[in-house]
Amino acid sequence: MRKSRTMIVVFLTPALIFFGTVFLYPIIRTAVMSLFHVENLTSGMSEWTFVGADNYVRLAQTSLFRTSMWNLFRIWAIGGAVVLGLGLMFAMVLNSGLRFKRFYRAVIYLPNIISAVALATMWLQFVYNTRFGLLTNFFKTLGLDGLAATEWTAPGNKFWALLFAYSFGMVGYHMLIFSSGIEKIPAEYYEASAIDGASILGQFRHITWPLLKGVTKTNITMWSISSVGFFVWSQLFSTVTTDVDTISPMVYLYNQVFSAGNAVTERNAGLGAAVGITLGVLVVLVFVAVNTLIRDDEMEF
Amino acid sequence: MKRIVSLFLMAAMLLAVVGTVSAESKTIVYWSMWEAAEPQGQVIQKAVDAYMAETGNKVDVQFKGRTGIREGLQPALDAGTVIDLFDEDIDRVNGTWGAYLMDLEELAKASDYEATANAGLMAAARTSGGGTLKSIPYQPFIFNYFYNVDIFEEAGIDAVPTTWDEFLDACQKVKDKGYIPVTSDDAYILCTLGYHLARLVGEPQVDKIVKEGLWAEEPAVLTAAQHLADMAEKGFFSPTIGSSVWPTNQNGELALGDAAMYLNGSWLPNEVKAMTGPDFKWGCFSYPALEGGVTGTEAANFGGQVYGINVKSEVAKEAFDIILKVTKGEFDLMLSQESIGIPADANNTEWPAMLAGVRPVFDQTTTRYNWAAGIENNPDMTPFIKQELQKLCAGSITAEDFVANLEAASNK
Repeated sequence: MRKSRTMIVVFLTPALIFFGTVFLYPIIRTAVMSLFHVENLTSGMSEWTFVGADNYVRLAQTSLFRTSMWNLFRIWAIGGAVVLGLGLMFAMVLNSGLRFKRFYRAVIYLPNIISAVALATMWLQFVYNTRFGLLTNFFKTLGLDGLAATEWTAPGNKFWALLFAYSFGMVGYHMLIFSSGIEKIPAEYYEASAIDGASILGQFRHITWPLLKGVTKTNITMWSISSVGFFVWSQLFSTVTTDVDTISPMVYLYNQVFSAGNAVTERNAGLGAAVGITLGVLVVLVFVAVNTLIRDDEMEF
Repeated sequence: MKRIVSLFLMAAMLLAVVGTVSAESKTIVYWSMWEAAEPQGQVIQKAVDAYMAETGNKVDVQFKGRTGIREGLQPALDAGTVIDLFDEDIDRVNGTWGAYLMDLEELAKASDYEATANAGLMAAARTSGGGTLKSIPYQPFIFNYFYNVDIFEEAGIDAVPTTWDEFLDACQKVKDKGYIPVTSDDAYILCTLGYHLARLVGEPQVDKIVKEGLWAEEPAVLTAAQHLADMAEKGFFSPTIGSSVWPTNQNGELALGDAAMYLNGSWLPNEVKAMTGPDFKWGCFSYPALEGGVTGTEAANFGGQVYGINVKSEVAKEAFDIILKVTKGEFDLMLSQESIGIPADANNTEWPAMLAGVRPVFDQTTTRYNWAAGIENNPDMTPFIKQELQKLCAGSITAEDFVANLEAASNK
């Protein structure tokens, strides 16, 4: 078939224009904005004041931003290990010939269809409530008064309370992605290995895991993106004023751009843009690292 | 005859044209900070409906909610969206959106607005507007100690405390009766420190402390921390004050009658009315004066929501008429009753029964603090201050730890 350059141009131009205006322009504008002091997000460039790398330097020197990055790292690393680990485990159990598989899968996925606002309220006002909360009553029933008296949302505990509640809601989503990968692996591989005397652990190590590399990569990338955008749960766990334990870089960005606290404070959309660029670079780095460390192009099935 | 008929027809046509022009209705676009389902939103909708029925003008009310208007108003105005009228907190409207505001001095004078307005609030609006009237306050509030009158009576407290010693004495009496003297949630706990410091050294110095990190340099910080640590040691704070996420203790300990006092805004009775029921007796007193302090019980954070008119509005007079409709007479009274709020119109002398105890405090307050007396003025520090204050009030750190930890966190 002859290639028509005109047709290529005709078909590609709308997509390129769309990509340029919706993705490229905002990225470039944000990168440029991060080098300026910008009082108002929507003010024209004539009102911007050039500050060079000052916004980035200020971020590096600000304890609160560093704390937010540390929180993000813990959410990504610890939450990621728990959520992806549990997701993989549930996916394997559900695909091992378990009866009522669809029912269990629906139950594990259920938190994903409930609004984050409702879930967070349930955790905060019911599960963690020290007056009549689920955990308090549970430990009282077991006679563990020390644990029953724990203030789950006190400084120091609140991060873990948040991470536990958030992870609870995220396992089902990643379980489904793992499950779709496992379902693609031909059953004959397992049958043959079973005949050869392979244990369940051996089957996982030599069949499931190598053939799930692509799906794992997808899951890590998805988890990284959702972690970087961690915002709603943080806001819900510190309803009016931001917390040290629950602040994420996105919340820091939001506070800087919109002066979102009770008091009316100075805004700096340039600083917010610097946070955005920093997070964007982080996602790219994670993506490159994952692609380098996990190669899934070695096997075809 | 034909000439007469044609003249008559011509006159009729002219009259019709003139009539059409004079009857042409105008459209006013109003972005509101309220949700449509809130009592305030419902009353405002009724006022707007009444305005439309009277004038024939159309009002496009868009209830944006707090977050919606904070995030969306300025980008919309910058993008050229027609918005004639908007409302939000007095400091945000005048501070953040000041450049978009029309000067309302002439419109207010023409309607003799101030004859029936609260003088203190109008003064606050002028101060926030840089010396001129750029916003019209409504839904006034005051932020002070709210208490359960029944608990005070049971504890034998005859008069509200006005000094720190009287306050501690009241706390002891409440505690002796088996109640929690003071409770709070994470949303408002910072106001306690803000007020305490502002009583000691004044709000401008509080602003300086939080912005310049003078935690160790300003001795009043340690004094305030020692006062609060002393309260924690005596068991005057709620045992869950260090962990309560708003509105847990507001809706629980205070509204259900386990705790006696809560430093909060005059919107509190409305927020917890579903829990307290209509018979709950509310009292209010000004944060106690401190020995050698710069400000006393005459000072508090008071203000209100305010209306602003877009400087580019072509229907400013009509927008101001809507302001009049909401903030005066029938609908101001309705707003006060439905939202258990303070009326803005001085002619509406009847306050909701739940706020009867607030009135003397409101009337005696002559010095205005900004929100939390400035303690939240540095957003890079606010979360750290809150965390350390929660620990201090929970008794898990000392006053000296409090100062040292904030000094360390202050990016110096």
